[in-house]
Order: sequence, then C-alpha cells, then structure tokens
Amino acid sequence: MRFLSSIILVWLYSLPAALASGAEHAEHALPLYPEPIWPGVPITNSMVVIWIAVAIITLFCRAATKKMAFVPGGLQNFAEWVVESLYNFLEGILGPYLVKKTFWFFASVFLLILVTNWLFLVPGMGTVGRIEDGRVVGFLRGGNADLNMTMAMSLTFAILWFYWALTENGIKDFLAHIFAPKGDFKGLMLAFMIPVFLVVGVLEVISIAIRPVALTFRLFGNIYGGEQTMENLMGLMPSKWLAFLPTLPFYFMELLVGFIQALVFMLLTAVFLRLICEHAGEEQH
Amino acid sequence: MTMLLASAPENGITVIFNTFGVTLPYFVASCINFFVVIWVLKRFAFGPIQSMLEERRARIADGEAKLKQIEAQLAEPEANTAAAIAKAAADAQHMIDEAREGAAVLSEQKAQEAIAQAHQILAKAEVAAKADRERLTVELKREFGRLVAATTAQVSGKVLTTEDQSRINEETLTRVEA
Repeated sequence: MRFLSSIILVWLYSLPAALASGAEHAEHALPLYPEPIWPGVPITNSMVVIWIAVAIITLFCRAATKKMAFVPGGLQNFAEWVVESLYNFLEGILGPYLVKKTFWFFASVFLLILVTNWLFLVPGMGTVGRIEDGRVVGFLRGGNADLNMTMAMSLTFAILWFYWALTENGIKDFLAHIFAPKGDFKGLMLAFMIPVFLVVGVLEVISIAIRPVALTFRLFGNIYGGEQTMENLMGLMPSKWLAFLPTLPFYFMELLVGFIQALVFMLLTAVFLRLICEHAGEEQH
Repeated sequence: MTMLLASAPENGITVIFNTFGVTLPYFVASCINFFVVIWVLKRFAFGPIQSMLEERRARIADGEAKLKQIEAQLAEPEANTAAAIAKAAADAQHMIDEAREGAAVLSEQKAQEAIAQAHQILAKAEVAAKADRERLTVELKREFGRLVAATTAQVSGKVLTTEDQSRINEETLTRVEA
C-alpha cells in the first residue's frame, strides 16, 4: 500500500513536467500497421509477438500436461482450473451440446487474445527496436494491434459460424431462421408478415456480414488505442528514464482491457453462434 | 508490399487495407499462427485436460455410486440382523408360550394323576379300613359271643349248646347294634 501511494505521488509530481513537454514530443505515434523487424525481412514485429505468444502457450501446455496426475498440482492444477472455468462459462452460453463441439475454438481464441494482449505489457515491447528515419521501429508490437491478426480470427470464426450453422440446422432451417416469420401467424396476418420478415432477413444478412468486420476493428481499435496511449504518455516525460511514470496507472487499466477484450471477442462469437443454433442438440435431450 | 487487393481498383476497402497494412502474406501468416495455436491447445491442452476432467468426474460419480452401494450393503446386514432378532424374539416367545402351555397341561395332568392316586389311596384305605372293621367286628362278635356264652353258662350253670350260643350271640349283637 505504501509502495502504491509512493508511486502515485511520484506520478503526480511528474505530471506537470510531462504536460509541459508534451508538445515537443508529439511525434511519438505508433503506426497503424505492423512493420518488418528489419528492412527486407518479410517478418513483422506483431508476427514476432504472436509467435512468442504461441510459444508461451505451447510450452505452458506441454509443461502442464506432460505428467498428468489424477490428483493435480502446480501447473496442471492451474491449467485445469482455466480450462474447466472456461468450459463451464461457455456451457452457460452455448448449452451442453454446442459447447462440446465448439469449446476448442472459443477457448483458443480467448487464450490467444489474452496472452497476446498481456504480452504487450511486458517492459520492452514497443520500445526496443531500430532507428529508422529518426524514429524507433519496435522489434515487437502488440499482436492484436495488427489488423491482419484480428481479421484472421474474425474470418476464421465467420467460416466456422457458417459451417456450424449449416450442419446443425440444415440449409432449409438456416434460411428459415433468417427469413421466415417468427411467431404463430395465420391467414392474412401471415401474408402480411412474410414480406416484413423478408426485409428483416435482408437486414439480418447485412448484420451477419458486418459481424466479422466489427469483431476485427473492435479488437484492433482497443488494443491499438491502448498501445498508442502508452506510447504518447511515454513521450510526455522530459527524461527517458522517467518515461515509465505516466504510463504506470494505465498499465493496470491495460491489464483489464486486455482481459476484457479477450472476453468480449469470445463472448460475442459464442453468442452469435448460439443465436443461429438455438435449437441445436435439443433432440438429444 | 503486396497488398491483399492490389489488383482491385482504389476503392474504400483497398484504402482501409493500405492504411492498416493488411497484406495477403501477413494475413495468411496470421491465419497460420491462429491455426497453430488452435492445434496446439486442442492437442496438448484441451484434449488431455478435458479427458482428465472427464475421467475424474466419472471416477467421482463411480465413487459416489460405490458409496451408495456400500451404504446399502451396510444397511442390509443391519436390516437382516434386525429381522433375525425379531424372528428369534418371535420364536422365543412362541417357545415360551408353548412351554407355558405344555407346563400347564403337564401340571394339570400331574394334578389329575395325583388326585386320581389320592382317590385310589383313599379308596384302598377305605377298603382296608372297611375290611379291618369287618374283621374286627367279626372278631368282636366272636369274642363277645364267647364272653356272653361263658357268662351265661357260669350264671345259669348250664352247658349251652351250639344253637343256644348262636341264639344268645345274635340277640346280644342285635341289642348292642341297636
């Protein structure tokens, strides 16, 4: 507590100086796109971070599941807690039938986004790099601050969404789910509702088409925004050695944002699937 | 950079892709990274962990079922013991009742036998007493007759004949008995 209050005090003292020097350090801006780690090398700085995230996840999984014991301990215990919590959480949204089929995707999405987001908060990310045209090109950049990555996840989900929707509903029910009137209409009312729901169906198709775009830009925007904020805050300080101070409170916020964005992406994709597969697995009960 | 839609005319999407650095190689690389993560997690994390969780759940369910079975088995001997005790108690009661009934019958029988024996003894005693009495009466009569005859002979000085003696005896006995 004393440590925290001292940090806040130092941060408050440094704030005026930071604000005063803000104008002259305005050139601290993170580009919207990932950059090659070295000129001519077709590997981007965000790609490296994704690889590190993949490596961390892989090593953790191998270590946690190498010697599986019936009575878990250490890493296995933690991994089981993560997997079981995610499974139960997703079961509440998707139901017991759908979660069995789709858990691997949603849990993977959540873990990859979370690890990648938190990896960005490790000191050195975005600050270690090479000088090009008078600015620092970082060797590492937030994996989700790259539209390629967020788009890859969103489009993969869109394809899987179609696959699951068609296999669970069949083409007829899938189209009926989008265009057919919902409710028990008869006679003249039904004749009136058919064109209404056809128009609603068209809007639904547009909504479905927009979902991957929204998922892509929501995640990218939040993570890029966080990185940009940190970058600008670091540039506010007159001394490089004190550059960490303005960003310190935002680290806690970014920890939360990293988790929330992973959760939001997973939740939205799970809800989208649940909406189209409302009756999936009901015949089994 | 090779843009994803490089061949397409300069439209909105192309502008967006150019602005955000979306390129076909980078996009494909990102997809591959994503698939690798999915594969790794499915192969090394979710698979083994979910199997372990399922196995543990099954073992817990199995343990609970066995526990219920053991409880039932434990309850069964208790019920058996209680039933055996109840049966034994009923048998014992039945035996006691039978014994009581037997004892009562035997007692009655013995009492009847004793009564019968007592009656027999009494009858025998009565017969014996009667016989003794008769014998004594006969003896008494004889002695009395002899004494009366002797007395009469001495008083009268007459020798009595057998008919006299008999007549005197009968007369005397008749008077005595009267």
